[in-house]
Amino acid sequence: MLPNFSYVRPKSLDEAVRHLDSPENRIHAGGTDLLGCLRERVFGVAKIVSLSGIQELKGITETAEGGLRIGALATLREIAESPLIRSKYPVLAQGAAEAASPQLRNQGTLGGNLCQKPRCWYYRGDFHCLRKGGDLCYAMVGENAFHCILGGDACYIVHPSDTAPALVALGATVRITGAGGPRTVPVEEFFVPPTQDLTRETVLEHNEILTEILLPPPPQGLRSSYRKVRARRSWDFALAGVALALQFRGEEVAGGRVVLSGAAPIPWRSVEVEEVILGKRLDAETISAAAEAVVKNAEPLAQNDYKLPLFRAIVEEELSAIAKV
Amino acid sequence: MSKKEIYAVKGLSVPETPASAQEPKPWKQTQMVGKGIPRVDAYERVSGTAVYPSDVLLPDMIYGAVLRCPHPHAQVKKVDVEAASKMPGVRAVITGDTPEARVEWTYSKEARSSLFDPHCRFEGEPVAAVAAETPYQAEDALRAIRVEYDVLPFVVDERDALKENAPSVHGAGNVLKTEKYERGQVDRGFREADVVLEENYRTECQLHTPMELHGCVAKWDGDRLTLWESTQGVYAVQAEVAEVLKLPLSKVRVVGHYMGGGFGSKLKAGKYTVIAALLAKKSARPVKLFLTREETYLAVGNRPPNNMRLKAGVKKDGTLTALDFSCTGTGGAYPSGGTSLVDWLVRDLYKCPNVRTECTDIAIHTGPARPFRAPGHPQGAWVLEQMMDALAEAIKMDPVELRLKNIPNFSQGKEGNPPYSSTGLKQCLEEGAKAFQWKVARSKALAPGETGRIKRGVGMASCLWVVGGGWPPSTVILKLFPDGSLNLNMGASDIGTGTKTVMALVAAEELGIPLGKIEIEHADTGTTQYATPSGGSKTVPTEAPTVRAAAISVKQQLLEMASKELKLDAASLVFQEGSIAPAKDPSKSVKITDLSELKKRGVVVGIGYRGPNPENKAIIPFAAQFCEVEVNTKTGEVKILRFVSTNDSGRVMDRLTYDSQVIGGITMGIGLAMTEYRVLDRDQTGRMLNRNWHDYKLPTALDVPLEMTSLPVDREDSQANSVGAKGLGEPVTIPTAPAIANAVYNATGIRITETPISPERLCRLLAEKRKEG
Repeated sequence: MLPNFSYVRPKSLDEAVRHLDSPENRIHAGGTDLLGCLRERVFGVAKIVSLSGIQELKGITETAEGGLRIGALATLREIAESPLIRSKYPVLAQGAAEAASPQLRNQGTLGGNLCQKPRCWYYRGDFHCLRKGGDLCYAMVGENAFHCILGGDACYIVHPSDTAPALVALGATVRITGAGGPRTVPVEEFFVPPTQDLTRETVLEHNEILTEILLPPPPQGLRSSYRKVRARRSWDFALAGVALALQFRGEEVAGGRVVLSGAAPIPWRSVEVEEVILGKRLDAETISAAAEAVVKNAEPLAQNDYKLPLFRAIVEEELSAIAKV
Repeated sequence: MSKKEIYAVKGLSVPETPASAQEPKPWKQTQMVGKGIPRVDAYERVSGTAVYPSDVLLPDMIYGAVLRCPHPHAQVKKVDVEAASKMPGVRAVITGDTPEARVEWTYSKEARSSLFDPHCRFEGEPVAAVAAETPYQAEDALRAIRVEYDVLPFVVDERDALKENAPSVHGAGNVLKTEKYERGQVDRGFREADVVLEENYRTECQLHTPMELHGCVAKWDGDRLTLWESTQGVYAVQAEVAEVLKLPLSKVRVVGHYMGGGFGSKLKAGKYTVIAALLAKKSARPVKLFLTREETYLAVGNRPPNNMRLKAGVKKDGTLTALDFSCTGTGGAYPSGGTSLVDWLVRDLYKCPNVRTECTDIAIHTGPARPFRAPGHPQGAWVLEQMMDALAEAIKMDPVELRLKNIPNFSQGKEGNPPYSSTGLKQCLEEGAKAFQWKVARSKALAPGETGRIKRGVGMASCLWVVGGGWPPSTVILKLFPDGSLNLNMGASDIGTGTKTVMALVAAEELGIPLGKIEIEHADTGTTQYATPSGGSKTVPTEAPTVRAAAISVKQQLLEMASKELKLDAASLVFQEGSIAPAKDPSKSVKITDLSELKKRGVVVGIGYRGPNPENKAIIPFAAQFCEVEVNTKTGEVKILRFVSTNDSGRVMDRLTYDSQVIGGITMGIGLAMTEYRVLDRDQTGRMLNRNWHDYKLPTALDVPLEMTSLPVDREDSQANSVGAKGLGEPVTIPTAPAIANAVYNATGIRITETPISPERLCRLLAEKRKEG
């Protein structure tokens, strides 16, 4: 059952920002994550500020430079089905299509997908864990089959988004508006690892709104893809996933990024894999070296060491596939 | 419209009417039964006009909610409800200190407890309850109740519960009981075997997840209590509530017309039923109390987890020589059948002279188990059917052949070794293998040279279900009106299986009345007759013969009436498309709707009783399932491509509801095999971690194959009962999980002995296998 709150539906961004004058005032985009968090009482709430009346947060348009501007309220379904995104940035369309279930994709937004809270069952449950201001990470010695193998430090969540790895891989940026005016942040720097701050997942302040996502024009020779493994074929988060956005010069990887989902508390850029493949042809030897590199620095917990062979497998599978495109 | 159109459909002839007190013969040819007729209540269900207990809205109705113990083991020291009682909208608060609420509650005969037992032995035990004007006010009031607990040491895993110094659930050791069974000479049997295999297995705890939540609406009229409850058996709820609240049975009316699914957890009343009644009494208002999904996951039951070991011996020619099975399991904090029937298939499915089983039920601090669709059987099948697969491989025999070699024609496990009234196991295996193209599919899957990471595999498993014949008592009343329409009155619940449809078909078959003229009154202790709960795959074999008996009684009375009218002996008259005529001179017929006595009396009432089952016969349904999977041998992802299920459940009463049972059973079996398991915070807090639909993963539409073929072995069992049907609802889910495991083995060479077959588990096993080379 939901706690009590008041509800406003402002017509403009300025008005919305003015309503965010307390950390207990929560932004409502699609609500698919927010309502669950409120029902589970993961955090408190005083006022719900709906963004649904703000037209400028919607839509997907091409920019003058040949990139893309995606309104934060664009739904995951719109992203997954947009011909523009499917042809120019398949990794993003695939990430959106792999998220959640059809009903949730109809309702959930891209902005919300980036701002969602971790799915750790201790965090979501009635446990006063470290991330909620307690003094214990229950996952460390508890039930941690679905937790991180990279980047964990005192807290071992995995970042739940399927679109964020795609956006990091594509070098996207987000526009943020707040009381202090607008700012632009690379998606790669939007997420906050536990090593930096245990109590937050993004750089967003309570009185700021993520307004749009900007994709740079697709570079020459860009090939991209997203692969996700999960315990259930729909309505499930990644056990392991990999987003590739690679620039090919001939058969050689000239640049690009490899970003993991289901691996770390933030979308995890695998510099180790990138180093192996950069400047190389994706032949069997390189792919095999890349598959080893992806978990080189991994530190599995008691129950999630299966993620090591799993990440190796999907990196191998996806690099082999993208080499043949 | 002519009278004939009102009464009967042309061509809808009815079977001969047996003389009074004579047993009806099986139908020779059926007009309605066995066809694929859409459900009689399909429109109401699909359009949303059907009123389920959760939909009931009464004038002045308020809402109940239950405060539950958040610890797996704690002693309640003090419950302070003062603040809660004064909150806006709150109309009643009850706790263990409320005199009316100090009632006894029995989770099982062996262990008594009370409604608000201060000694909370599992997370989710009720501690207090409130009723308020709105659900939100009720929730706010719950949050204002202050409870002081002594938090006590707990054990929530049966594998830890027998260790030295393990916290005790009931003040002694945690072993509740050990059951042993033995026949023949097991050790000698192993000496006679050419191959002996031994393996450990485990199945995880599966949580009850009916679509409609557990709960009821309670309303008092003076000293009479009416409950609208989502239940599998209204009379079972009546009996339990009457006993707990010390009310005469006649003063408790339970109504459960529509209900949104039950797989065993709604066979009885819940604590919530009694709490709703007490809240309604105290507030003098009707109270609706439905649990949240989280509460049902904690408190209304589960399929127990089981740890099993099987040693099996076989000769080279496929003769089984010995089976030695042992298992532990847990029904949670109160004795609830933690190992119930887990060994039944080992005892009974295949011919084997030497069998030994030992089952140990263990208590732990978790919610009590409840019967869960085919209790014990899917667990036992997981073991036996994987072992059969391994034995077949060891003696280089086709797994279907091995099973065909070992089909018994009597029950070896039941006392007195009764013969089966019918056994279609052979047909299930043969016809299933043929429809699946087993040999072709298997040789393709086994073909060498497959180098890709995606590998295909096929697997199969068979089963029986311990009891499929239904049983007395049951009473059904049919009322035939002068316009030729019919009321069918029975106490049984239609838990979504299509009971109402099947019973309407039986009445239509026997009386020649079109379905549109039949209306069903059911599942109401105030207005319908006594019936036992719908569970155990018993509803069709119990109720259908009873409906048929009632219909025959109606026919006999009509023949008597016509006999007076035509001044002819009743024995010389026959039924014919809505008319009665002398057998020798059909032209002298009288339409039933023209019978003057029927018009005068206004109704003919036919009563049917369920007679006893035949003596010394085991009425048992059988099944076999075949499946094909595709395995990503690097990631451990498994895609189930297709299923064929062959079932011998006697006569097919309605093909559509039959196929729905098969598809639903396979789906549930896929849940056990692939995605469903309870997760407890075993070492820290003992609390349940996956109490919602995201973390407790039911199969979605994408997890079940598009291609699911239901292939009935459609043979009436004329010894079982007068309609020739056996139960179906449970055997459909028993062989599914081991069939998948066998297919995965076929694809990968990896024997998955523990559920679920998740990418987590399989990816790890595949990696280990690669390492070993």
